[in-house]
Amino acid sequence: MKTDHYDVVIAGSGIAGSLIAKTLTRAGKKVLLLEAGLQAGVALDSDGAYNNYMSYLDRFYNAAAKVPNSPYPILKDAPTSNVLDVVKLTPGGPPPPGYLVQMGPLPFASDAVRGPGGTMLHWLGTTLRMLPNDFKMKTVYNQAVDWPITADDLRPYYEMAELEIGVSGEVSEQTYPDTPAPKAYFGKDYVFPMHKIPQSYLDTEIAKGVQNMTVKLNKRQYKINCISTPQGRNSTPNAKYPYRDVIWNKAEKKLKLTGLLGEKYDYNPVPSIWDAYTGQRCEGNASCVPICPVQAKYNPLKTLKRSNFDHLTIITQAVASTINIDEKTKEVTGIVYKRYNNPDSPEYTTGVAAGKIYVLAANAIENAKILLASGAANSSDQVGRNLMDHMVMLTWGLTKEKIYPYRGPGSTTNIATFRDGPFRSEHAAWISPFDNWGWSWPVFSPGSDVSDGLAMGLFGKQLRDYLNERLTRQFLLHFECEQSPDPDNRVTIDHQYLDPLGNYKPIIHYYATDYMLKSMEAAKTVSDQIFAANGIEDHTVYNPVTDAGYVTYKGQGYTYRGAGHIVGTHRMGFNKHDSVVNHEQRTWDHPNLFLAGCGNMPTLGTSNPSLTMTALTFKAAEAILKQLEK
Amino acid sequence: MAGKHTRDDGTIRTLAELKSALQNAIELEHSTIPTYLCALYSIQDGTNQKAVETIRSIVVEEMLHMILACNILNAIGGEPAINKPGFVPTYPGHLPDSDNSFVINLAKFSRESVDVFLKIEKPATTSEPPKAKGYQTIGQFYQAVRIGLEYVNDNTPGGIFTKDKKQRAKQITAEHYYGSGGQIIPVYTIDDAREAIAEIVGQGEGIDDTIEDSDQQMFGQGIEYAHYFRFNELHEERLYKDTDTPKSGPTGDRIVVEWDAVYNMKPNPKMDDFKAYPELLEKVRDFNRTYTLLLDNIHNACNGQPDLLMKGVAMMYQLKYKAIALMNIPVPGTRYMAGPSFEFEK
Amino acid sequence: MANNRADLFLEISALLTGFNKAELQGTGMVATYYNTVANIPQDPNYSDQELAANEANVGFFFEEVNSILKENKKDESKLQQAIAGRLMPLSAYNGLAQSIITLWYTGSWGANVVNAQAYIQGLMWDTAEAHPPGAKQPGFGSWSFPPL
Ligand SMILES: Cc1cc2nc3c(=O)[nH]c(=O)nc-3n(C[C@H](O)[C@H](O)[C@H](O)COP(=O)(O)OP(=O)(O)OC[C@H]3O[C@@H](n4cnc5c(N)ncnc54)[C@H](O)[C@@H]3O)c2cc1C
Ligand code: SF4
Repeated sequence: MKTDHYDVVIAGSGIAGSLIAKTLTRAGKKVLLLEAGLQAGVALDSDGAYNNYMSYLDRFYNAAAKVPNSPYPILKDAPTSNVLDVVKLTPGGPPPPGYLVQMGPLPFASDAVRGPGGTMLHWLGTTLRMLPNDFKMKTVYNQAVDWPITADDLRPYYEMAELEIGVSGEVSEQTYPDTPAPKAYFGKDYVFPMHKIPQSYLDTEIAKGVQNMTVKLNKRQYKINCISTPQGRNSTPNAKYPYRDVIWNKAEKKLKLTGLLGEKYDYNPVPSIWDAYTGQRCEGNASCVPICPVQAKYNPLKTLKRSNFDHLTIITQAVASTINIDEKTKEVTGIVYKRYNNPDSPEYTTGVAAGKIYVLAANAIENAKILLASGAANSSDQVGRNLMDHMVMLTWGLTKEKIYPYRGPGSTTNIATFRDGPFRSEHAAWISPFDNWGWSWPVFSPGSDVSDGLAMGLFGKQLRDYLNERLTRQFLLHFECEQSPDPDNRVTIDHQYLDPLGNYKPIIHYYATDYMLKSMEAAKTVSDQIFAANGIEDHTVYNPVTDAGYVTYKGQGYTYRGAGHIVGTHRMGFNKHDSVVNHEQRTWDHPNLFLAGCGNMPTLGTSNPSLTMTALTFKAAEAILKQLEK
Repeated sequence: MAGKHTRDDGTIRTLAELKSALQNAIELEHSTIPTYLCALYSIQDGTNQKAVETIRSIVVEEMLHMILACNILNAIGGEPAINKPGFVPTYPGHLPDSDNSFVINLAKFSRESVDVFLKIEKPATTSEPPKAKGYQTIGQFYQAVRIGLEYVNDNTPGGIFTKDKKQRAKQITAEHYYGSGGQIIPVYTIDDAREAIAEIVGQGEGIDDTIEDSDQQMFGQGIEYAHYFRFNELHEERLYKDTDTPKSGPTGDRIVVEWDAVYNMKPNPKMDDFKAYPELLEKVRDFNRTYTLLLDNIHNACNGQPDLLMKGVAMMYQLKYKAIALMNIPVPGTRYMAGPSFEFEK
Repeated sequence: MANNRADLFLEISALLTGFNKAELQGTGMVATYYNTVANIPQDPNYSDQELAANEANVGFFFEEVNSILKENKKDESKLQQAIAGRLMPLSAYNGLAQSIITLWYTGSWGANVVNAQAYIQGLMWDTAEAHPPGAKQPGFGSWSFPPL
């Protein structure tokens, strides 16, 4: 079966795919969107969207382990990574079960959602920009690689991304190390669409002792800087915000932000996809990962919903497998997909989607896998390589006073101090978000605290008091260390490892370089100083037997966890020898094949990647429109 | 509490009368809220989706109306009074200053309570003169307020709308208020005040001789039916079609109203009823304490500290969870469940 | 004095959890949890033998509860001692008392969440002065001040 001829065929309806679909259809282009997940998930009418989303919520309530993927249907025919499958690897042993074939020596610890809307259904929502030096790591610190573009080049696209996602934050508070002051870095009058999400009580209590305290690291002194975190969840509109939309300007061949043009009311927070009154503000459900019940948090279905449906065709339950390439012209001629009726049955029909231009937007690991399976875009031998994630080291303790965690969005404040600095030539930089959800991540609190109390023989009033004292004082700090690109951290494929539809399962090779381990050592010394100075009783335990991500450095043990930031597998670069795509996200090898998603990022920086990726995706959409209108 | 300054003929001629009538408006809007909330919270989780959506959407509009009335009162230099014992109606009771033709209750969702809701939201007919006192319908009342506003404004040199900066800063705006059906309208002029009243009346009673409310005309929102007609759908267990009229009644699809999937809440409960059960009494009292704190909060928010409303929203959520907990507790020796009593409790 | 098992269950649940009876009733979970503990309806995954053993265990447990409550009506500290000594050890009645506490606090019975409401009504969230993630939303900005 061959489809009609479209202007553009896209695989994947995460933010990358949905944003391109929306931008192009609104510019009048005919788009076909292939999506691996279930038909029900793409319902955008009020009843359909509500019922489907409530089924996610119900699945979450009933899940024994409330991991990021717990609300979303498990599809045998379109399987995905799951943190429940992340286990300690035995050297030389067979890879453990799970979608990712983990060859080690360390497990890759992040997951993704396969379903309409993609992984941002369960993202946290942090939307920091990268810092200027992040784009030139080679030049400044002789590490990793430079980007072919600078922070300044990306600025207009960052602004588009901040409108698309609906960022809440205070520009004036965004003071970063080695970075021009906010007015210079963001532009003199720039504000985010909405004011900051109120910082948690916990944040303000902790910051009282931490803000401006001095810590020592490798003989240097640093003054700690705690700032509010910009995020993609709805807050109070900022009356000074001037934009409403991004539109294609045919004459100038550019995407442009357009203004509110004297409208009576301010920026309107984008509500849930099922009704206009739900989700206008973050309601503090404190479950952003895995699911925001009111959709106050951005998810890509909000973007998809604003497409022009006269020009958009969506085929769901369609798993893109390979791409067809004309040997002579190197042009892509179609995306081959396998369409299943029942996600539990191995039966499928094959289709070929044809268009002028093709976009793979199926997430970094999937994109690499499809390219490898097709022998495509790989003249640089970089496809699948440089797989990165933030390696997250957690530290946790009990505060003296009650700080009342388990309330509000996952994180509303971060320590920006170690996001940049000369130390980057020695070890990785990191960002330290304060976590609002107690010790739930490392030790599955509060359930584990109930068990602890019972093990101490407590019951009745004593148990209740014990738990109250403990749960109201749990503090958790993250150190999200910037993994640097390494060609040996990679995705490969092998006929031995196939999923039920006969598509490849990704084989993962992953380890931590000394550059990373050293940053964990450094981060732990910073944590120790913060805890000691603030009377926080340290309860951190890194368990060599049970922690999947347990590593040692200079005789000390540390545990990393995945951040969900799957990056780097089809990097952007300066030429066809060093990279897979150019700065417009077009593959060097195939003039009508674009890649979208975090796989394009040459380095990670210390910001969560999706805002930057969304900015890059606007760039891709612009380049596609230019190419179509040539 | 209800206004001391209303004339027997229900007209408004002085600023004092106007302020008093607007204070009544606040009390009137508020008085329906506990009634609706009891019905809403008595519906068991996961059932009666249509009824829940109907009552919820109406009650948030009543809250909006209450705030709009505060905005108008503040705009003419008044002081909304919300945290006084007399502000809280006694149930069973009547709409404040109405003609007392029907009784409103704190009661579970039932056919009888929907009957009462229809009476509350009954559209005004043109034959009834505007009246701020002894009114039969809420529309009549607001007509009188609007006419009074215009009259007093026209007959006061310089008008009655405050130009004082501090007083103007008391307006509740979209920055503080969100998520409810309709738009919050800050009031600075007679036009704003007219718009606010049109919003209140339009959402409640709809546009003359149609079943729609005014939001679509005013704000370009999707068609929504006015309160009376939304309740009538539950009453008739049938949906309206867009082509229906007030006369035709609903002629659309049948809906299932699960009248039994409801907690059997004790009608018009009082703390006094629970004296013999200290644990239960404490929970009712705790509810009332939160309710009273909320009234304090709204009072302060509408008297110069609009930012406080953020905390008010948190209190409203707590009230809901506490009310539902009460409806799950049997009242010993009866076939009833406990329920929120909405009493002033410091 | 409680005279049937369901009443005994509420009585002992209050003593085990530290939440009073009205608080427990307010969760709306009493009946569901009683049925869970008493295995009503019977779980089809168990053999007849296992079911019989479980029923006997539950029966003995409630008899013990009944006598503990009767014997210690007047003396609160003796009552606490009796619960600690005769119900709380894991060896007593297959650890049923501890399972009941876990059930109330977390909504889980064994490895499973009893149902969505059980998760939402877990007492541990109330104890933390918070709310279950994804339910009972507390409202915009509520996290920026201490619990109400
Ligand atoms: C727990 C967690 C928290 C996170 N928090 C943050 C955060 O706070 N900030 C931030 O910036 N980032 C965060 N991220 C990362 C963020 O979710 C991803 O960067 C983002 O979702 C990537 O978007 P995407 O569109 O490229 O891919 P995805 O969102 O993964 O979407 C891919 C889409 O493609 C579809 N698909 C997959 N394979 C195929 C195929 N073969 N054929 C057709 N369709 C296919 C999928 O069903 C899906 O719809 C987080 C991630 C996780 C896991
Ligand atoms: S805190 Fe709650 S309402 Fe806010 S974004 Fe997270 S899940 Fe949504």
